Amino acid sequence: MNAPTSVEGAAMAESEPPARDDGLSQKGAPGWTRFLLTNEFGLVTLIVIFGAVFALGTPGFSSPFNLFTLGRTMAIDIMIGFSMMVVIVTGGLNLSVGAIGVCVAIGCGWLLEVAGAPLALAIFAALALGAALGALNGVLIVRSGLHSFIITLATMSVFFGLMLFLTHANAYRQVPLEFSAFGKMRFAGYLSPLLLVSIAIGLLLAGLYRFTPLGREMLAAGAKAAAAELSGVRVGRTIVICHALSGVLAGIAAVMVVARTGAAIPQMAGNLGQDWLLPAFLGPVLGGTLLAGGRASVLGTFLGAALVSELTNGLLQFRIGEFWVQTWLGLLLLLAVLMDLARRSFLARRGV
Amino acid sequence: MTPVISRLARTDWFGPLAVIVFATIIVSAFDPSFLSPFNIQILMLAVAVNCVIAMSQMVIIAIGQMNLAVGAIGGLAAISFAGMMQIWGLPPLLAAAAALALGIVAGLANGLLISATGISAFIITLASLSIFKGANLGITRAQPFYGVPESVKAFGNTTIAGPIPWLALPAALVIAAMWYLLYRQRIGRYILAVGGNQSAAELSGISVPSAVLWAHAMSGFLAALAGVLLVARLQLGEPTIGDDWLILSFAAPVIGGAVLSGGHVSVFGTLFGVVIVAIITQALVIFRIDPFFVQVVLGLLILWAVGVNRLREVRMQRTLKRA
Repeated sequence: MNAPTSVEGAAMAESEPPARDDGLSQKGAPGWTRFLLTNEFGLVTLIVIFGAVFALGTPGFSSPFNLFTLGRTMAIDIMIGFSMMVVIVTGGLNLSVGAIGVCVAIGCGWLLEVAGAPLALAIFAALALGAALGALNGVLIVRSGLHSFIITLATMSVFFGLMLFLTHANAYRQVPLEFSAFGKMRFAGYLSPLLLVSIAIGLLLAGLYRFTPLGREMLAAGAKAAAAELSGVRVGRTIVICHALSGVLAGIAAVMVVARTGAAIPQMAGNLGQDWLLPAFLGPVLGGTLLAGGRASVLGTFLGAALVSELTNGLLQFRIGEFWVQTWLGLLLLLAVLMDLARRSFLARRGV
Repeated sequence: MTPVISRLARTDWFGPLAVIVFATIIVSAFDPSFLSPFNIQILMLAVAVNCVIAMSQMVIIAIGQMNLAVGAIGGLAAISFAGMMQIWGLPPLLAAAAALALGIVAGLANGLLISATGISAFIITLASLSIFKGANLGITRAQPFYGVPESVKAFGNTTIAGPIPWLALPAALVIAAMWYLLYRQRIGRYILAVGGNQSAAELSGISVPSAVLWAHAMSGFLAALAGVLLVARLQLGEPTIGDDWLILSFAAPVIGGAVLSGGHVSVFGTLFGVVIVAIITQALVIFRIDPFFVQVVLGLLILWAVGVNRLREVRMQRTLKRA
């Protein structure tokens, strides 16, 4: 039962995370096996295989319009996955991504429609709101010493409830034309600019973890908080920054949803924003981000989210039980963690 | 503080009970109809179903895990219950038994996956939440089942005597059974021991996987029971049943003093937690505050409760150190 991916084991018990043996992927197994066993390679293979199956199976899948809508959905799913990934890195999680997202979308809609703010200012202020809500999560977690699960479960309810209370569950539909035009814009007939935004943010995140001291501090704080603290990392401050970043990324996803639908709707992520939880975890988990913290795979999260959007879209195109899509996604999550387990034990046997 | 009060203050249920008494006095001072038989009946209806939901999460908290799928299991059981009566024409008791069995199977599947793979309960139940909810939507195509027999409707909406609704009967049985199982039976001690310290429990000869399976089977059964009771109360099998259980299912046990890392839960504390939530929901209606505000209050209650539990923990450790 001493699984490396145990959320409770890591921090629910408010104890130190169990010693992990992820060093095994660096030594032992020969290079090509290691490469073939990476999450990233597996994901690319799956994306290509499913893409081929869907393209051959239904003519609609590879039509420029479907590729365009797929890219748009993908962009949003990728941002949702990133917003969870940046807190999983610290060994925590953020159940309130959906609630923060809806608050940002509604805040943006209110600024545009009621306050009449210019577009750039409205987006900037709404994202700042996302950062503030995320930072509030972080401060509560650090100050109370409680696990992020229960804190963000509570704030998910508070944020969503306050938003409904203040807006009386009204939607804002007067979004400037140039904003919804951005959501409808297509390059070369099939590429959505939203996907380019997600790629750019993915590159920024990868740069953050690879090249900046702050990014390395985030990873260190997640891997072993006590050791990081001793080597001069201000762990509390780092965790607050991670949660603020999560709020901003959830906010970007929400702004993308507004651009796509041309309206800010309180129900866009389901009750309490719960509908975002599955995509939020699917991306990072498929991409091989350790739930115990300390390691982030930006590319893996990107590919994981892309695979999920592709599967959803393909299943809908095939018209095999539109209502069952959620079941397939749940099975996919299950399959992903089981395969990760098998891969890990294979590497352990080959390597050490 | 006299010794009696200080001893009471150390129990899990005393604080929530004091809050209930205090809140009742305040709310009924503003609106005497709060204590009218009709209003008490409404309160008891809400408490009856919600406390079964809370117990379903509490038993998983006891073992140091979490079950995000309580709502999905409850919803699937609810629509199966209604669907079996409407489409197959099963008698209500048989349909209810089948729905409860489905809940147990769903819970066992969770427990089996968690203990066999060692993957965190959070991820497993997130996946199964999505699987069960998808099956729910796949079966119902998001349309409710309306063919609920009159006897079931009557069970959900009539009273035994005075203001006591029939629904309170299964709830009372569940509370008694949970108390007996957790505090008087071997399996309850095993569950709490595994939640308190898994390796110590394992070393003292407790089978951790079987305790995990038991806890999840109980959780699945209780979630399904709550779903069946809601069908009786709402008089239809709605696919949305269970969608809003998550926050409440954690709020009530935590208000009742449950330790989220496991090993310590209070059956009566959880019951009082459910009562507090019901009173506050009613008070918001009485004071004409926007019903959307309930979500905010629920979230704040969780924060307040975990804060208080944490303080009690710190204080208890300090007393232990001094002694």
